[in-house]
Amino acid sequence: MDSDDNLDYYDSDYENQYSDDSDDTANLYDDEEDDSAVNPDDNSKSVKTFTVLQEDDINKRQEDQISHASLILSIPEVSASKLLYYYKWNVSQLHDEWFADEEKVRTAVGLPSDAVSISGTDELITCGICFDPFPIEEFHQMVCGHWYCKLCWKVYITTSITDGPGCLLLRCPEPSCKVAVCRDMVEELVAEEEWGKYRRYYLRSYVEESKKIKWCPMPGCENAIELELGNDLFDVACLCSGTFCWNCGQDAHRPVHCDTVAKWVSKNSSEAENTNWILAHSKPCPKCKRSIEKNHGCMHMTCTPPCNFQFCWLCQGDWREHNEKTGGFYSCNKYEVAKSKGLLDEVEKVREMAENSLNRYTHYYERWVANHKSRDKAIADLNALETGILQNLRDKTLESEGQLKFIKEAWEQIIECRRVLKWTYAYGYYIPEDEQVKKQLFEYIQGEAEAQLEKLHNQAEKELNNFLEKDEADFGVFRQKLVGLTAVSHSYFTKLVAFFETQKW
Amino acid sequence: MVDFSRVQKELQECNKDVKISGISVKPKADSLSHLIGTIPGPVDSPYEGGTFLIDIVLLDGYPFEPPKMKFLTKVWHPNISSQSGAICLDILKDQWSPALTLKTALVSIQALLSAPEPDDPQDAVVAQQYLRDYQTFVGTARYWTEAFAKTSSHGMDEKVQRLVEMGFPEALTRSTLEVVGGDETLALEKLCSN
Repeated sequence: MDSDDNLDYYDSDYENQYSDDSDDTANLYDDEEDDSAVNPDDNSKSVKTFTVLQEDDINKRQEDQISHASLILSIPEVSASKLLYYYKWNVSQLHDEWFADEEKVRTAVGLPSDAVSISGTDELITCGICFDPFPIEEFHQMVCGHWYCKLCWKVYITTSITDGPGCLLLRCPEPSCKVAVCRDMVEELVAEEEWGKYRRYYLRSYVEESKKIKWCPMPGCENAIELELGNDLFDVACLCSGTFCWNCGQDAHRPVHCDTVAKWVSKNSSEAENTNWILAHSKPCPKCKRSIEKNHGCMHMTCTPPCNFQFCWLCQGDWREHNEKTGGFYSCNKYEVAKSKGLLDEVEKVREMAENSLNRYTHYYERWVANHKSRDKAIADLNALETGILQNLRDKTLESEGQLKFIKEAWEQIIECRRVLKWTYAYGYYIPEDEQVKKQLFEYIQGEAEAQLEKLHNQAEKELNNFLEKDEADFGVFRQKLVGLTAVSHSYFTKLVAFFETQKW
Repeated sequence: MVDFSRVQKELQECNKDVKISGISVKPKADSLSHLIGTIPGPVDSPYEGGTFLIDIVLLDGYPFEPPKMKFLTKVWHPNISSQSGAICLDILKDQWSPALTLKTALVSIQALLSAPEPDDPQDAVVAQQYLRDYQTFVGTARYWTEAFAKTSSHGMDEKVQRLVEMGFPEALTRSTLEVVGGDETLALEKLCSN
């Protein structure tokens, strides 16, 4: 096959692209241990291109910047907090403009340098909102000298907080007056609940105004991810164990481009009705026709006794044909329109074309979904391993925790590989039909990587169960095989990823 | 809850200088949360000589929420809907402040009559006419002022009510009155001949 020549080319290139090096940036990421749940070790050593920020981290950064600005500009912290918000946390722009023309900045933000002098009076003053007269103690005094009673101030600020984050820009109620309502005043006047909301809006502004920080899109997760500057690797992993593309917010999809992913996702939603049946969790056994629900991660299916038929979940072909030993290489990643030509009449041809187009899409979609589900299952399996099975195994083998680490590593490799494989199917769908050579090369590399992954997944899943159930199995052999398969899978997938990242089509 | 004590004070204050400003606010019925404002058409505008009625509804949050205002009198203006009377004015929306009052809002509406903002239209048809054919716009606006905002056309609600009580449907009564320029006798004749 002509693609063999090309493979050497990837070998020389992929290490820079995907795996390790660049230790200098590795420590950018604080919580290495928590993070390792979804990343194989080899990958977590790779370039760390992002930082996870928890609520406390964001809060601390804000407070640090506030006290720093307060010191540099010689202003109270409440004023610094207003200025930083107004300047969208762009410290250098704030400094530039402040030192160029302090008065101009003060006027724009609403922080006048001189307060209107207010002398004590025994006379009643009329509130500018409720128009009721009160003694001076009932008023909250602002530097601008506009008179509103404490109750009206409270309702004014509370109403604004209820309306949304616009409360952070609140100013004096007098329309011609631009003096800002600062946070000390908000804290003093409003109820606990509203003050909490106000603080929350303020905290969120730090992420939302930033060009390099985004919220983790996982449901219920309140962490944010900061991307390092000058970085174009967008796959990030949050502490909540969610992985996503920082750029487009979809599931992590490296090495496939955001554009392809967007096309694919919209295609899936528009084809949803046609492909609903694919989503059904069961398929009939190709031999005995009993319904089978796929609840194991790998594609190697074995029907329950007495049938015991072994088949491939994807193509429903005999599993024996998926074995190198029997000469039939694992090949169900290829979509082929195997049709004899010349025998069909015109009507038949039109029907065929429509069917083929749907079949082609279905082929890729089915494999995309299968790998997606397989990955979810693998994550659940890894979780089960860590919460129970590993302990059983320790009791049985008397090995230490460190000695059994290879099982966890194997599962982490499986999870990562399933993710990459899933997205390669979205990519495969969009390879133009006339790019046959590239298509073949892509499918060859994809097929090899997939075959290795199936072996690894099978070993981790079935052989481990065998070992736990039967006493006679040799743990040393199991370990050797699993470690070997993990390494080989890593190498194949590295090649696959490198293939994408060196191709410009 | 609407701050009725403030509304009461506002009404007193506003109606004190009604002779100078021409702007007044009165309760529509017994409740202080539904009011009717009156503004004279500004001098040197196509609305000069007209008297415009504004429907004012106060929501529970008033004065911390803006009052809801719309024209009851039909008016031809880029920022006011010729159909519904809805007004496009920032201080009635996000720029409202509790330090503003019904009077200041009505003064702003009066100023809007003098200085339309066709780039931020409420009524696209009127705004287009204003920009492309200003003379025709002025003519129509003046005609509408004559037809709907002059004293003769006032008391429209009472006229409608009287005709409705005679047994005519309200929508038909209203449109017939508009066609005859508010003349109750002519409207009755027309309604009867239908």
